[in-house]
Amino acid sequence: MSQTVLIKIRRKDNPNAAPYWETFELPEKPFANVISCLQDIQKNPVNIGGVRVKPVVWDCNCLEEVCGSCTMVINGKVRQACAALIDPLEKPITLEPMSKFPAVRDLQVDRARMFKDLEQAHAWIDIDGTHDIGEGPAIDQETRHKAYELSQCMTCGCCLESCPQYTLDNNFLGPAVFSQARYFNMHPTGAMHKDKRLEPLMKEGGIANCGNAQNCAAVCPKHIPLTESIAEIGRQTTFHLIKKLFVE
Amino acid sequence: MKTLSKSEIQFLLLKLHSLTGIIPIGLFLVFHLGFNSLRTVGVQQYQFGIDLINNMPYLLWIEVLCIHIPILFHSFMGFYVAYQGKFNVFRYAYPRNWMYTLQRVTGGVVFLFLVYHIGTTLFPKMIEGKHLFEASPFLIGIMNEQMSTWSGRLIYLVGILSATFHFANGLWGFCISWGLLIGKDAQRNAGIAFMFVGLVLALWGVATMAAFALDPVSVEPVFSKGMSL
Ligand code: HEM
Ligand code: HEM
Repeated sequence: MSQTVLIKIRRKDNPNAAPYWETFELPEKPFANVISCLQDIQKNPVNIGGVRVKPVVWDCNCLEEVCGSCTMVINGKVRQACAALIDPLEKPITLEPMSKFPAVRDLQVDRARMFKDLEQAHAWIDIDGTHDIGEGPAIDQETRHKAYELSQCMTCGCCLESCPQYTLDNNFLGPAVFSQARYFNMHPTGAMHKDKRLEPLMKEGGIANCGNAQNCAAVCPKHIPLTESIAEIGRQTTFHLIKKLFVE
Repeated sequence: MKTLSKSEIQFLLLKLHSLTGIIPIGLFLVFHLGFNSLRTVGVQQYQFGIDLINNMPYLLWIEVLCIHIPILFHSFMGFYVAYQGKFNVFRYAYPRNWMYTLQRVTGGVVFLFLVYHIGTTLFPKMIEGKHLFEASPFLIGIMNEQMSTWSGRLIYLVGILSATFHFANGLWGFCISWGLLIGKDAQRNAGIAFMFVGLVLALWGVATMAAFALDPVSVEPVFSKGMSL
């Protein structure tokens, strides 16, 4: 007799519908992960009561933990479904959509706020204008190393889901944005627009709304030093504030 | 000068909340527990300490501007900040998340303690008009009485532990918020160091309580009313 796994999924038929739990029983396969189980459910969407139901909806893309789209709450903790192997997980497995983003359907949420917030914080480096302004300065090894760490952010939302200060209805920008502001501010060309990135962080929902619970760094699947970024942005905004209040 | 938007004002108020936690409230706490700990040396020394404060020029102004208004502001903002967040410490039970939660809980506890504490010390002092050299015998009498019951001792123990934890952990949060502590290791090491600061403050307070509880001595005014130096 082959083993089976129970998967309990918190479902929702549309953004405004009431959520409900539905359990599926699947044959246990070697090296299965949460995504492969969801694919099995999709092939044969029959719940534990033997009823044929609407297939479960979820987001995924790269399947190697670099795109961030399959982020969900697995056994109570936020992480990527593609990297969640079934074997070490406690059974029955519970799957929930992230709670800090507007629900779309089942495990699918709308992470658009993250991208809007990155825009607000000018999280990019401006390109040359109509004429070539030459090569940028060389970057030392240490800075490049740090920049690489920060560049790995995939805007997955784990940090925000676990952050007690980030809620569905407030306007906190959150650790991912602070870390990206730091990332672009440490680039010599990016630093030319440093103030443009700091100003939006010195408003309602900005850096002062961080409560230093530090869950962000604890759950970050890329181990990005988010709390260090927060402190660094704290420092940059402190200098900017002093400059604004007492120098200019 | 350009006018500030509502959103920029919110940022500045949060920064001010963070700053008032250290200056002046944190400083006050250190001095307050320090001065009160004179009681462990002897009741005369303690009386001398209270006399020193109560004979300071512009005392009322200093108290209102440097203690009462900042505490009211910090408390008001503190409740606002606490209500904005959503605790999730049972789901994400990391040590730092516990500290975050405790920071908010102890803030509320300190507020309740302060209502009781000020209501039983400063308030009766003002109502009964005990100023200058009259104040210390009056206040020492009150403290003797409060430290003679277990309920009084419990209230003070909870108040002192909450306030010292809140201050010590707040010092850590302050250093991160203002960018004084950046690296991961630096944050961890300073967190440990600040907890020792809190522990010392707490011991100071508890030793003071013990001195009152074990040896309740009352004193007479050094100079009586109407007498001038
Ligand atoms: C051993 C413990 C403590 C003792 C013996 C003590 C004693 C006193 C006394 C005698 C006063 C009246 C001072 C006066 O009006 O001249 C006072 C006021 C005050 N205490 Fe404490 N206290 C203790 C702990 C605390 C703690 C832990 C806090 C912090 C939250 C605190 C906050 C205050 C405040 C805010 C006032 C009013 C300040 C003012 O005089 O304007 N106390 N305390
Ligand atoms: C003895 C009195 C108090 C002292 C010495 C004190 C000190 C501090 C300090 C130093 C901080 C750190 C600021 C930062 O993180 O940047 C802080 C934060 C905080 N305080 Fe107080 N505080 C006191 C009373 C209160 C009261 C009565 C409340 C009311 C609820 C309160 C609520 C808070 C909250 C919620 C924070 C966290 C702010 C954040 O992390 O963003 N505090 N406090």
